[in-house]
Amino acid sequence: MRIQLNARNRGYDFEAQPGEKVLYAGLRAGIDLPYECATGTCGTCKAKAVAGRVCNGWPQAPGRNFVKPEAGEFLMCQCAAEEALTLEVSKFVYDMEPGACVPQTCVGTVRNARRLTHDVMGFALELERPRDFDAGQFVLLAPAGLAGYRAYSMCNFERGGRQLEFIVKRKPDGGFSDWLFGADRDGARLETFGPLGKATFDPALAKNVLCIAGGSGIAGMMSILSRAARSRYFDRYRGWLFFGVRSMRDAFFLDQLSAFRRQFPDRLQITIALSDADAPASAARDWPALGFVRGMVHEVAKRMMAGKYQDLRAYVAGPPPAVDAAIRVLLLEAKLTTDNIRYDKFS
Amino acid sequence: MTKRLVCRVADVPENGLKECEAEGGLRLVVANAGGEFFGFQAVCPHQDVPLCEGLFDGATLTCHMHLWQWDIRTGSPLGLAEAPLQRYPLAREGEDLYLGGEATALDVGELFNGIAAGTIEKLAALARRESHQPGAVLYRPGDPAEDFFVLDSGRVEFLVGRGDRTAPGGFMLKKGEVFGWAALLDGYPVRIASARCLEASLLLRINGKAALRVLEGDPSSGFVVMRRLAALIARYLASSGAR
Repeated sequence: MRIQLNARNRGYDFEAQPGEKVLYAGLRAGIDLPYECATGTCGTCKAKAVAGRVCNGWPQAPGRNFVKPEAGEFLMCQCAAEEALTLEVSKFVYDMEPGACVPQTCVGTVRNARRLTHDVMGFALELERPRDFDAGQFVLLAPAGLAGYRAYSMCNFERGGRQLEFIVKRKPDGGFSDWLFGADRDGARLETFGPLGKATFDPALAKNVLCIAGGSGIAGMMSILSRAARSRYFDRYRGWLFFGVRSMRDAFFLDQLSAFRRQFPDRLQITIALSDADAPASAARDWPALGFVRGMVHEVAKRMMAGKYQDLRAYVAGPPPAVDAAIRVLLLEAKLTTDNIRYDKFS
Repeated sequence: MTKRLVCRVADVPENGLKECEAEGGLRLVVANAGGEFFGFQAVCPHQDVPLCEGLFDGATLTCHMHLWQWDIRTGSPLGLAEAPLQRYPLAREGEDLYLGGEATALDVGELFNGIAAGTIEKLAALARRESHQPGAVLYRPGDPAEDFFVLDSGRVEFLVGRGDRTAPGGFMLKKGEVFGWAALLDGYPVRIASARCLEASLLLRINGKAALRVLEGDPSSGFVVMRRLAALIARYLASSGAR
């Protein structure tokens, strides 16, 4: 299916497979189309059909509030071309930079699915082909037979690797989390599309790094710490990680975080912020490399980071209220410029 | 013109924002920057998010959704923002704020907003106001590039290439956007694209050489305009990595 896309600055031509969503086809062709969640919520990938029809795979997507279907508007992440399509995107659109990890589809097999807490599971996905991604990126996952992709950030970092590591928090509605928690899924096959996302870290950044994660937002931060540790980044630059959870029963990855801290005891500081309960005395004994502080994660970060915002890039991930609160601190208190705030809002 | 009340001074907290509806039904966000008041379009030009929910530190307004930012005095985009805010001048009378005159396409335009008022007036005096029907062609490749255009309303589309070997070259749809800027450059005497109105469009047509003479008479404004022109051109040449 031929797709002609007109952006504010220029036009693009690309091919889509029958039934393939316009966004994924364009990204696959190396065009840096606008998107954020890539799964129907944020509305960032809004476009307008000028000629040709699209088939909407999820008319009830939460992002429908951002589009006017009567004006031909649609979400590129949910719609496929039914015939040759001309569409318009009211943004500046560029080719991906040389060396970017261009997203692809790939099938993977679930390995080592395990409980991390009462409502968080971890698992690995063994891909059929190796795939590069940047630290902090996510992929879309869909089990065969379950409608629609869900987005999950990689927890690991590896170049040319075939293994992706994920965590999944159980959600009351959640199609994918129900599927994973519902039965033994070792050996199950998942379709993937990715990597996606721009909240990425590369050692070329050459700045101090502040990570603020709420709950399962820790996933991308683990990838960032992994990438940084591998290049001994914290020999030269400082790093702070604040991991917000409700109480100790919701905390996980504490052993892995301790290992990062022990590698860089001078320049890397890791704090677990507990919003609902004080940490038991045993926490400091069991994980002496970590700090445990009572409070909301953005408030704990604000308190402990005062005066340390020079030459800094901040990464924020988690549920929308936590991310918004942290961004408010980073803009208004820390006076960071917006290009030094990278965030990933789950919704 | 009848005066249109926007709100009372006391409605807008110091270094705060307030969404208001002016008499006659125009929604705008009013910012109080240390006792000075500025009015802008009520929603973000990016995704229709109410700007009154944004962050404001007294100088910079940030939309909380995607962190687009603007200078509160001019509405000029900062940082990640790809578009300026439509500004509505406010007039204070006692404890009330009224809508002032409507800002022109030159006032809000990406190249000229915020430069010296006298220079804007001289440029406005050079501008010829044109109204075009849908389908009207403004120029074709090879035509002399003597004038540049400022969009007031409507929509203009560009095609690069000739004959039936053409490709889309983008489009303009925001009040104040500038195109045909080869007329402001040395060494680019002819058009390299065609420009066609897709809708009924209102434009300001300004002779490039005459505009440059005005800017030479006010070098500090001229410097701002040239910096913005350079940024504008870079935006068309950039790759995603450069951003």
